[in-house]
Amino acid sequence: MEAVSERELVERCRSGDETAFQELVDRYKGLVFALIARTVQDRSRAEDLAQDVFLRVHRGLPYFRGEARLSTWIYRIVANVCVHDAGRPVAVSLDDEQAARRPPPSASDRQFGDFELRDRLEKAIARLPAHYRFLIAAHYLEGVRYEDLAAALDLPLGTVKTQLYRAKQQLRRSLETDLR
Amino acid sequence: MFCDEALDAVEAIAAGEITPDGRIADHLATCPNCATALVAARQLERVLQRRGTPAPPAQFTARTLARVRRARWRRDQFVDVGFNVAIVVLVVAVFGGVWMLLNRTGLTAVSSDAVDLFGVGLVTLVRRVAPSLPLYAGAAALLASALGVWWWAERDVTL
Repeated sequence: MEAVSERELVERCRSGDETAFQELVDRYKGLVFALIARTVQDRSRAEDLAQDVFLRVHRGLPYFRGEARLSTWIYRIVANVCVHDAGRPVAVSLDDEQAARRPPPSASDRQFGDFELRDRLEKAIARLPAHYRFLIAAHYLEGVRYEDLAAALDLPLGTVKTQLYRAKQQLRRSLETDLR
Repeated sequence: MFCDEALDAVEAIAAGEITPDGRIADHLATCPNCATALVAARQLERVLQRRGTPAPPAQFTARTLARVRRARWRRDQFVDVGFNVAIVVLVVAVFGGVWMLLNRTGLTAVSSDAVDLFGVGLVTLVRRVAPSLPLYAGAAALLASALGVWWWAERDVTL
């Protein structure tokens, strides 16, 4: 049922129906924005890149053959946009180094500890290679399956799982003192 | 050696994707280093699952559609300019080609005679038609009036 409506939506977009494209943006904006914002970790940049994704979708719709699901094709565009954006120079904060040397939070202030752990986690994720960042961002979003990621990245399912484990291994090692 | 094998599996175990078999389970129970890694991997898994999902800004759809429209307009403009440039190049090429043809083959002299002849013919035609001009003007005015009345009768009055 969803596949049929997806096909109809694509056909309406192809025929130049602007409300159909608006529907498409509304349907996928949450997923696209969350995926990008988690990968690039900068809200304004994320909005810019999310708009880029929909611009590419709009340009590419006439050539979309419908062999893959629309969502898979959109994930692929998001992955390309995120990995391409990773080539840009990123400002490195001196706080990162200071934060790495900070002692772990005490058990008496658990909330603060959680907050600090999340903060360190985001910084550790920012240091991962772009495709690992994308995998971590996508895997923990509701509704994104390993199969979707494998199709979007054009990789075997086993490779996606292995890369995700390696990404988490890197994260675990860089957060070793915080996670104990 | 066996620690490496166990450490490679802790992420999958923490994610609940594999259940440690006898050998790995025994090792994890006896090796403090690997057991600590598993605890850390489980905590990382929990933190990653609780990671917030950023929502797009309220005006995201409107701003995206505006950007799509701007991009389409720019693309259309580009196509228009390209088409106009192509037409100008084509016209210049055709006229340049004709001019070169006339110059190289010595047809310029013949063509100037042809232009003179055309000019004389035009003047003679105007002289002959001039006395009947009021009649033609009257007929044209009558035709225009008839067309005007027809248009007025047929116009869409639903507006």
